[in-house]
Amino acid sequence: MPMVLLECDKDIPERQKHIYLKAPDEDTRDFLPIANAATIPGTLSERGCAFCGAKLVIGGVLKDTIQMIHGPLGCAYDTWHTKRYPTDNGHFNMKYVWSTDMKESHVVFGGEKRLEKSMHEAFDEMPDIKRMIVYTTCPTALIGDDIKAVAKQVMKDRPDVDVFTVECPGFSGVSQSKGHHVLNIGWINEKVDTLQKEITSDYTINFIGDFNIQGDSQLLQTYWDKLGIQVIAHFTGNGTYDDLRCMHQAQLNVVNCARSSGYIANELKKRYGIPRLDIDSWGFNYMAEGIRKICAFFGIEERGEALIAEEEAKWKPKLDWYKERLQGTKMAIWTGGPRLWHWTKSVEDDLGVQVVAMSSKFGHEEDFEKVIARGREGTYYIDDGNELEFFEIIELVKPDVIFTGPRVGELIKKLHIPYVNGHAYHNGPYMGFEGFVNLARDMYNAVYNPLRHLAAVDIRDKSQTTPIITRGAA
Amino acid sequence: MSNCGCTTEQKPAEVSVSGRDRDGIINPMYDCQPAGAQYAGIGIKDCIPLVHGGQGCTMFVRLLFAQHFKENFDVASTSLHEDSAVFGGAGRVEEGVLVLARRYPELRVIPIITTCSTEVIGDDIEGTIRIIKKALKAEFPEREIYLAPVHTPSFKGSHVTGYDECVKSVFQTIATKKTKPTGKLNVFPGWVNPGDVVLLKDYFKAMGVDATIFMDTENFDSPMLPSKAIETQGNTTVEDIADSANAIGSLALARYEGASTAKYLNESFEVPDYLVNTPYGIKNTDDMLRKISEVTGKEIPESLVRERGIALDALADLAHMFFANKKVAIFGHPDLVLGLAQFCMEIELEPCLLLIGDDQGRKYKKDPRIEELKNTAHFDMEIIHNADLWELEKRINAGLKLDLIMGHSKGRYVAIEANIPMVRVGFPTFDRAGLYRKPTIGYKGAMELAETIANTLFAHMEYTRNKEWILNTW
Repeated sequence: MPMVLLECDKDIPERQKHIYLKAPDEDTRDFLPIANAATIPGTLSERGCAFCGAKLVIGGVLKDTIQMIHGPLGCAYDTWHTKRYPTDNGHFNMKYVWSTDMKESHVVFGGEKRLEKSMHEAFDEMPDIKRMIVYTTCPTALIGDDIKAVAKQVMKDRPDVDVFTVECPGFSGVSQSKGHHVLNIGWINEKVDTLQKEITSDYTINFIGDFNIQGDSQLLQTYWDKLGIQVIAHFTGNGTYDDLRCMHQAQLNVVNCARSSGYIANELKKRYGIPRLDIDSWGFNYMAEGIRKICAFFGIEERGEALIAEEEAKWKPKLDWYKERLQGTKMAIWTGGPRLWHWTKSVEDDLGVQVVAMSSKFGHEEDFEKVIARGREGTYYIDDGNELEFFEIIELVKPDVIFTGPRVGELIKKLHIPYVNGHAYHNGPYMGFEGFVNLARDMYNAVYNPLRHLAAVDIRDKSQTTPIITRGAA
Repeated sequence: MSNCGCTTEQKPAEVSVSGRDRDGIINPMYDCQPAGAQYAGIGIKDCIPLVHGGQGCTMFVRLLFAQHFKENFDVASTSLHEDSAVFGGAGRVEEGVLVLARRYPELRVIPIITTCSTEVIGDDIEGTIRIIKKALKAEFPEREIYLAPVHTPSFKGSHVTGYDECVKSVFQTIATKKTKPTGKLNVFPGWVNPGDVVLLKDYFKAMGVDATIFMDTENFDSPMLPSKAIETQGNTTVEDIADSANAIGSLALARYEGASTAKYLNESFEVPDYLVNTPYGIKNTDDMLRKISEVTGKEIPESLVRERGIALDALADLAHMFFANKKVAIFGHPDLVLGLAQFCMEIELEPCLLLIGDDQGRKYKKDPRIEELKNTAHFDMEIIHNADLWELEKRINAGLKLDLIMGHSKGRYVAIEANIPMVRVGFPTFDRAGLYRKPTIGYKGAMELAETIANTLFAHMEYTRNKEWILNTW
């Protein structure tokens, strides 16, 4: 009975195909949760839309690019102040959003003129910025505005600007995932190999699928610098538009987030013969393994070993301090998709933490293959989990901490379960050696948070006393 | 002739009203209509709004509410996909309602909220509701679930009009007949915080007035309990709404947020409606209390005279010593901005730039509060409707000198970059702790807001070493 029909799903029995409880000695390929399938309406799913997969997750990370959203103002408002991806140029990407503020008359008569004018206005108001991505949204896609033609016209009128267009309205696909795909493929088709940059090292990579959450890319950049590796392009953490046009120049594609960005790595391999190397950037063992693989590719193994030794000497004692105290902690991960398989084994190996339930919003079946292979027995693997399922799963597995988003974090707080922001982090970065110590610290501070124990006390109950909660000094 | 040496011949103050002159938006002030409709919906007990559109239209709005209130709210989506864009999405509304009804047995109200995509597709919501009602009747003969059609295309209005629209639609659906008089007063406070709702309840209690607040959002600030009960939901019940038709009158405190429902109750059931200025500041609160007294025949009690006196006493310590001649920019919801501008003038602040609006400029121009500001301002004032936050930023870049910015958190970087003290007020205020709990209306709200302004200015004096020594003795 490996696929599980939860009590709350008795009226939507098709949900059984999406929830797997791993049992011993099973060929898990026989029991893969169905994933990347349409959500049942009214289930209170966690999913977002394809537009946000393109704009908020990938395009909007770039530090030098206007993100022109062709549609009503809401799509711009909603994909602003919802991410923590700083840049080294003062966070231009987090400060601004742009919308064509589409109105009813444009639904009737078309919005291309409005888009063209808005693009010129944006370039006029911000004269230092010369790059732009234009996105369609649900209504502009439905009325069939030709945004590519408008972009072409604007580039003709302004020879010093470059514009990329992304056509993935919110209703396309079943989740954010569709937007990742559209942006990946569009970029390689239209923009890669349109610019050359200066090569300054014998070793060059693209670092793909890392979005500089709380400085992840910038922390890893210190490793590449020490190894003497030139990163041609970051796709897209702390990245620039023009660097991404040069992706064809790299010798190796190093992929962290395979779900959001594996597509472009595959295409770079197909079209330019650049090999793809997947690594996990979260966790000590994984990070060391990733560095070893990259260095082996370039034949600079001794540099890699030196870096790993240096980092481990610096951070391992701190990690071990947390490991001692987190041993046996039960953790749930309810995030987008890939972090399930990035984290489940690294928290187990590096911190002694047991991951007891995982839910993915937009992972595909290949993500579940990976996570089930890496994950524990007796753990629930859920595709597109919804709110009532979360309550039921919490009762079943009783996690000590959940890595998830802030809204769900507020919900489980009432159940006296602490959350750590699994998307934007509490106090990151979380990647790399130092980053994983940060993750361990945040998990420790959550699990040893005195308030959750105080919350359980009923002051009317004379048999109870309010405990003094003690913890070690980190 | 003045004997203070100042000139008696002054250039008359100029108050200008104009709209944004760009097509596009850079940094929107408001979200779109469906977001406002969702906010109205969550104010109702045993209600889960169902948003008919892409999943992002729901997911981001839930996140926005969670950011502001640090709470989770339940909102469902029909998860619109491509096939619905081609063949229509009515079937997904039907499925969504039935799934909600089956899995949430306590559910009594489902506002069905359209979005830009489903309005463009042209799904017949009213017709679909008739079909669903039959299905619900057959499956749940004992239950009555109210389905309110809420038409909120995102290419019209903003979250302000969407809020107004949803409140009205829910009342039109539930308040359908006049029965026995209740002697109660309906109160429509608009889009306010739980702290404001608590304050209003205190005032009504002090006056001995039996009032029902629509929507009663007091529990949007909800506790962590030993029982782990989750109490985060609106307190407004189906019975409260049904009985609104039997009230002695309706008091609307926000012209653009709920007043149209007060009008509906008058037109349909002869419940007299009274619109007062949103009670920011002393005079507006006076006028509100006098109106309540006039409508209900209840006296204004000694306790409110004292609260008013305490507020005046506190304001008098601040106004002419610290606030006088300080230039302020205010942005946010129209009722908030105009009310705060009136309050600023009571405490000698000079609100020189007011940013309101969406495409409802025609309505705003007729607002008597703007007429009043025109007649009373002794300094130049610019009122911009259809504004975005770039209107503020570009004026500052062009040399506008401001001593203070008041508005919601989406404008935080304008203040940060220009190093201008900013007081968070309105919605959302996610970058400051606990503001949803603090009243900003009424005497107490005026006092606490003024004190926040003062403390913000004081901290800024200290950080910038700008005559911070004045406070050595105060």
